[in-house]
Amino acid sequence: MTELSLYIHIPFCRRRCAYCSFVSYAERETDIPAYTRALAEEIKLRCVDDAEIKTIYFGGGTPSLMPADSLKEIFKAIRTCYKIADGAEVTLEANPGTIDSGYLKTVRSLGVNRLSLGVQSLDDAELRLLGRIHTSSEARESTRQAKEAGFTNLSLDFIYGIPERSQVTWRNMLAEIVTLRVQHLSLYGLTLEEDTPMHERVERGEVPSPDPDAAASEYEMAEEVLQAAGYNQYEISNWSQPGFESRHNRVYWQRGPYLGLGAAAHSFLDNKRIANTSDLDIYISELSGGKLPPQTTEVISKVVALSEAIILGLRLNEGISAGDIQAHFGIDLHHRFAVEIADCSSLGLLEEKGGRLRLTPRGRLLGNEVFMRFLA
Amino acid sequence: MDQRHIRNFCIIAHIDHGKSTLADRLIESTGAMRREEMSAQVMDSMELERERGITIKAKAIRLNYTATDGQTYLLNLIDTPGHVDFSYEVSRTLAACEGAVLLVDVTQGIQAQTLANVYSAMEHNLEIIPVLNKMDLPTAEPERVMSEVKMVLGYTEAETLKISGKTGLGVAELLEAIVHRIPPPSGKPESPLRSLIFDSHYDRYKGVIAYLRVVDGSIRKGDRLRFMATGTELEVIEVGYFNPRECPVDVLFTGEVGYIATGLKQVGEAPVGDTLTSVENPAATPLVGYRPAKPMVFAGIYPTEANDYQDLREAMEKLKLNDASLTSEMENSPLLGHGFRCGFLGLLHMDIVYERLEREFGLSLVVTAPGVEYLITKSDGEKITVINPGELPDPSQIVKMEEPWVKVSIITPSKFIGPIMELERDSGGVHKHTEFLGAAMGSEENQRVRLDYDMPLRSMLTTFYDSLKSRSKGYASLDYEFDGYRDAKLVKLDILVNEVLVDAFSRIVPPEQAMNVGRILVQKLKEEIPRQLFVVPVQAAVGGRIVARTDIGAKRKDVLAKCYGGDITRKRKLLDKQKEGKKKMKLIGRVEVPKEAFLSVLKTEI
Repeated sequence: MTELSLYIHIPFCRRRCAYCSFVSYAERETDIPAYTRALAEEIKLRCVDDAEIKTIYFGGGTPSLMPADSLKEIFKAIRTCYKIADGAEVTLEANPGTIDSGYLKTVRSLGVNRLSLGVQSLDDAELRLLGRIHTSSEARESTRQAKEAGFTNLSLDFIYGIPERSQVTWRNMLAEIVTLRVQHLSLYGLTLEEDTPMHERVERGEVPSPDPDAAASEYEMAEEVLQAAGYNQYEISNWSQPGFESRHNRVYWQRGPYLGLGAAAHSFLDNKRIANTSDLDIYISELSGGKLPPQTTEVISKVVALSEAIILGLRLNEGISAGDIQAHFGIDLHHRFAVEIADCSSLGLLEEKGGRLRLTPRGRLLGNEVFMRFLA
Repeated sequence: MDQRHIRNFCIIAHIDHGKSTLADRLIESTGAMRREEMSAQVMDSMELERERGITIKAKAIRLNYTATDGQTYLLNLIDTPGHVDFSYEVSRTLAACEGAVLLVDVTQGIQAQTLANVYSAMEHNLEIIPVLNKMDLPTAEPERVMSEVKMVLGYTEAETLKISGKTGLGVAELLEAIVHRIPPPSGKPESPLRSLIFDSHYDRYKGVIAYLRVVDGSIRKGDRLRFMATGTELEVIEVGYFNPRECPVDVLFTGEVGYIATGLKQVGEAPVGDTLTSVENPAATPLVGYRPAKPMVFAGIYPTEANDYQDLREAMEKLKLNDASLTSEMENSPLLGHGFRCGFLGLLHMDIVYERLEREFGLSLVVTAPGVEYLITKSDGEKITVINPGELPDPSQIVKMEEPWVKVSIITPSKFIGPIMELERDSGGVHKHTEFLGAAMGSEENQRVRLDYDMPLRSMLTTFYDSLKSRSKGYASLDYEFDGYRDAKLVKLDILVNEVLVDAFSRIVPPEQAMNVGRILVQKLKEEIPRQLFVVPVQAAVGGRIVARTDIGAKRKDVLAKCYGGDITRKRKLLDKQKEGKKKMKLIGRVEVPKEAFLSVLKTEI
C-alpha cells in the first residue's frame, strides 16, 4: 500500500483579494454544486490504486465557501476510493467572514481536523488595502470560534512586508498573534504579482511598492518574537508548536506523491508534475460528461529532480543531508556542488550543521540567491 | 548659355525661416515644375532632413527665368546646409556662388548662424540680397527686424525686399533682383579646367556623383580629370544638371553648375572643397584652400545586442560611402563588446549618423557620451592624441595637455543675458564681446543682443545647448566655430565599483568640478546597480584621491514565499527566469550590473 496526499482546489472567492494572482473565481458560487459533482467524478476517475491517504488539504480560493453538504459529498467520494489513514491530517483553508461556529463544528464532524485561517493582518486599514472581505475583529472571532468548535490544530496565515506598515504596528501585531495561542503560523511575504489590482495601484503610484528591506526587518522581528513564544520555525514561511508542523506541506518539500484534484490543481506522481486545466467551465463540463479535464504534464528529468530535491529541501530549516542525496540520486552533493556550496557559504547563506546543509537565517531571506545556483 | 546670362546664388537662412518654401516657389514660378508635381519642398530630399526641418546635403537646381527685359537667364540655386556642424560645406557652397539671398524671418529676426553665414558670404565677396520673409503673417515685425538688418549688416530699407515665400508675394521682384544685382560668373572659358566640388553623394550605379561649379574651362563626358588636393583621377561617366530632375548634357561650360558621375566608390575620393582639373591640361593652382573634413566630436557606437556587430559594421561602411566627414575605428569594450569609436563634425552630425544607422539599417544602438580629442605632450617628449578618457596617461607623465576651443556667438533677447552669461561662466566660457542689435522696439527687454564667447568645445557637448534653449525660453540662437587648441588644466576622474576601476566610466573634467561630477556619477550608479549580496562601495577618484563615495547596501530579501497548492513548476520557472536575468548581467569584478544600468551611467550628462 502506497502513501498518498490529496490536494483539493476550491477556486471560489467572495471577492478577489487585491494582491492574489492564484486561480480563483469571484461571483461563481452558484457553480459550487456542479463543481462538487465534478470533483467527486474526478476523484473517482483518477483513483490511485492501493493508496492510503496520509493528508488531505482543501486549498483555495476559499474552501470555506463550500457548504458542509458539498464537503460531505467530497469526503464520501474520497472514502469510496481510498482508505484514509488513522490520524491523517485533514486541513481546510477558511477565511474569516465566511464561517460561523455551526459550520466549523459540522466540518470538524466530517473529518477536518486542521483549520488554516487566512487572517493576513490584525489591522483594519491593512486588511482594506489587501482587499480582504473581513475585519480584524471578525478574524479574532473566527479564531475563537475555531477553538470553541474543538480544533486543536489551528493555523493562522499572516502577510509581512505590507506597504506603509510601521515596525511598531508589526511588533504589536506579533505580540497579539502569540497571545492567540494557535498551534501553527504561516508568514508570507507580500509579493507584487502582475495583473493584480495591487500591482496596478502601485504602478499608478497610489500605493508604495512593497519595500524588501522593511519586509526583511519584519521577518527578522517575527523570527525573534515567535521563537521566544515557543514556536519553532521549520520552513522559510512556517512556524509551529512542537509536533504541529504541517504534514501536508512537508510532502511538497520532500517531494512525496500528491494528487491534486479540482480546477488548477497540481499533482506530483511518478516523477511527473501535472497541472489540471485552470478553466472552471471546461473542468465542470468535461467531468459532467464523465471525461477527465485537460492537463499539462512535465516529466521531471533526473537533473531537475536533483535540483528540486535540493531547492525544496533547503526550504526546511533542517536542510538536506548528503546521505539522502547520495541514496536517492547516487551523487556526492559536496563534490557535484562544491563551487555553489563554497560560494553560498562564503556569502553567509548556507551552513553545514550536524551533517546537514541548511540555510542560515540570512539565507532564509535570500533563498532565491541560493536556489538559483542549484537550479539545473 | 552665354556666361553673362548665368546667375549662381544660394539662400542663407536660419532653420524654419522659410528657405525650402522659397526654393519651391522659385522653382514653381520659373516653370521648372508645376505645383502639383512637387512634393512639398523639393530640395529637402532626405526623409530625415524633412523631419528635422533642416537641410543636410547641398544640391543645385537650374532654373530658366525670362526677365522683364525679355532676356532668358539661367539661374543656379545652390542649397546650403543650415547647421553649424556643416559650416565648411556652407563655405564651399558660398565659394561656388556670386550672390546670396539672405532670408530673415520677419516674425523673429537675425539668428546667430545666419549672421555667421552672412559674414562668410561677405568674405567670399558675394552680392547679398537682404529679404524679409513671412510678410503675410500677422505676427510680422518688419520695423524691428529691418532695424536689425540695418544696424547689424548695414543694408538700407530700399535694398531690402519684403516677401512671402508661402503666398508668393514679392517673389517676382526677388527674381528680378537676382538677375540684376548678382554679377555673372567671371571665369575664363579658354583656361585649363578648374571646377569646385561643393557636394557629393554615392550612387550605386554611377559611383560618386560630384556636384560642382565650373569656374574655368569646361567638362565633357569622357574627360580625364584629377582632384588637385587628393590626386585622385577619374573619367567622367556622365555630365548633367538638375532641373530639379537629373538632366544629362554633353558639356558643362564655364560658370555653370551641375554634376558629374565619377565611377568612384567613396565620397571621400571626391572631397568637398577640392578642385577638379584636366589630366591632359592641368591648371597651375587650385581654386580655394581645401581642407579635409576633421571630426571634432567623438563617441562610441555599439550594437545593443552584441550579436549585431556584423550588421553595424556593414551599415557603417555603407554610411561612410556617403559621408566623408564620418570617421570610425573599431573599438572593444569589456562591457559593450565590439563597436566603433566614431568621429563627427559636431553633435548634430552625430545625431544624424545615429538616427540613420537605426532607421535605414534597422539597428538598435548604444551611443556613449560624446567627447573631444585631447593633445597630450608626455614627459618623454612624445605627443599623443587621446579620445577615450581611459587612455589618458598618468598625470606625472603629462607635460602639456591641450583641448579644442570654439568661438561661440549667441543672439538673444536682452532679458536673457543674465542666465546665459551664467551658463557661459559655468561652462568655462571667456567673454569676448557684447553687441546690441538694431533699435529696441516696444519694450527694452526685446532688444536683441549678440554675445561672443570663447569656450572649450568639451563644455558644449552635453547639456549646453539644452540649457541655452531653456534659459532663453527657446529664443537664443547659437553659432560656433573651431578656434584651435588651447592649454587645458584637466584631470581624469575615475570610477571604482567595489574597488574595481571601470575604464568606461572615466571622464576628463576640470579639477574644481571633479567632486561634483563624482558625486553625480556615484549617485547614479547607486540608483542603477541592483543591490548585491554584499555591500558595494562606489567611489570617484582623481589620481589616488577619493572625491566622492557612496555604498550600495547589501540585498536583504529575495525569496519566494508561498507554494501555491504544490505548484512547484511555477516556483522553478520563476527561479529560471531570475537565473536567466543573472546570466545577462555584466560583471564588474564580482558585482553584477545589468547592461541597462551600465548604459544609463555612460550616458549621464553632466
